[in-house]
Amino acid sequence: MSSQEQTQSNAELEIETEIQSERSDRETRADEPVLEVRELDVHYGDERALQPVNADIPEKKVTAIIGPSGCGKSTFLRCVNRMNDQIDVCSVGGELYFHGKNVYDDDVDPVALRRKIGQVFQRPNPFPKSIYDNVAYGLRIQGKTDDLDTRVERALRRAALWSEVEDRLDESALDLSGGQQQRLCIARAIAPDPEVLLMDEPASALDPIATAKVEDLIEDLAENYTVVIVTHNMQQAARISDKTAVFLTGGELVEFDDTTTIFENPANQAVEDYITGKFG
Amino acid sequence: MSRWAYRAELRDLREELLAMSDLVCEALQRALDSLEERDAALARRVIEGDDEINERYLAIEGHCTELIARQQPVAGDMRFVVATFKISTDLERIGDLARNLATYATRGERHAYPEVDAGTIGRHVLAMVREAVAAYAAEDPSACYTVAERDAEIDRLCEAASGIVVRDLLAERGPDESAESLLADASRLFLTIRDLERVGDHAVNVAARTLYMVEGNDDLLA
Repeated sequence: MSSQEQTQSNAELEIETEIQSERSDRETRADEPVLEVRELDVHYGDERALQPVNADIPEKKVTAIIGPSGCGKSTFLRCVNRMNDQIDVCSVGGELYFHGKNVYDDDVDPVALRRKIGQVFQRPNPFPKSIYDNVAYGLRIQGKTDDLDTRVERALRRAALWSEVEDRLDESALDLSGGQQQRLCIARAIAPDPEVLLMDEPASALDPIATAKVEDLIEDLAENYTVVIVTHNMQQAARISDKTAVFLTGGELVEFDDTTTIFENPANQAVEDYITGKFG
Repeated sequence: MSRWAYRAELRDLREELLAMSDLVCEALQRALDSLEERDAALARRVIEGDDEINERYLAIEGHCTELIARQQPVAGDMRFVVATFKISTDLERIGDLARNLATYATRGERHAYPEVDAGTIGRHVLAMVREAVAAYAAEDPSACYTVAERDAEIDRLCEAASGIVVRDLLAERGPDESAESLLADASRLFLTIRDLERVGDHAVNVAARTLYMVEGNDDLLA
């Protein structure tokens, strides 16, 4: 091993140790759900967007949220990292606990919360910067600039993009294909090493091959992160998720169970009707 | 394919299975009659009719495969398609067994073992198949359990019938019975009893798949 490779390897080891140290705290709470939702409801002005929701989101699993348009699934997702705070008319009631701490408590900093609960959106939205700078962006803001190269490479590897961009990291992210841009956004989201990744229809703007790559990636990501994904594509939910939450019209969480149960033998007739196409 | 056309396809699949079950029950009925009456002509009709049952089975298999490929059914629809496919396999096997039974009927007169009442066992298993198919048609879970419970009686009757043949073989028959015809009779009877017992097993499978289809309940799946 050359001295350069040795230095690289040591840096990787140090970052891994740092991350493992952060994780050790999490693992002492292993049996607890990472997110506990209690009577969470949302209003836009006078209009109720979400009826009281109760759910436990398991750690390091993929939880899919499905339902017809306007059923509140994206509204629910935005509640998790308080993205709804940015909508003036939106009011949120109830509690949403992240490792036992209500994220709506007054002393919670939404920006700090979003470092722990990252988000990937429907349309790839890379910054008009280089591939490298996109991934490094959040790390620089957090001051994690030591061994930046190693951290960027690590995030790109985890996002299954490294082999496609390693020799053009200085090129504009906007020159990547749609599928590559979305994986870059995933790399950007995981670079600061969040615990939870929220994904709002992350593959709906992609072609089938790019979709398959993102789906494979989501399953891999669940080894290290808790993934909550909103999708209109029921087959996608069936393919990649461990748990599925079904919201139906009126913003009601009608059924939340193991994905196999939801797609093989759901308990609720309205859920059965929705997923078999008899409703919605 | 529109959602309306998709639902029509599911209804068509159900009708295809019921039509196939009618053919299978008719074949089994005729096979039992040919055994009882030693009617070689009727037996040959059963044997020749098996090709049509096989064709129906392949058509249902193709229909299920297409529905899975193009519609990706889930929940109750998925259970229906999977159960229908599996039941068609059981019905096809019952058709094969009916052909076997008809074949035994073409192989000469029965000389020995008048006390072995294969006809009664046959009537029992035919009734089981009909009840299992009726449970599928009516989506009736309790009828599925009734079919499964009847299988114990079939097993008991088959065991008793086999016992009679074995005991007679061991005791040897009188000088009027040639060893060759005795052995041929015994073999045919063993095969008949075995095949009837298998028909009963397939009827239970039909009931088990129907129970899964209706309730997602795998209680009766072995």
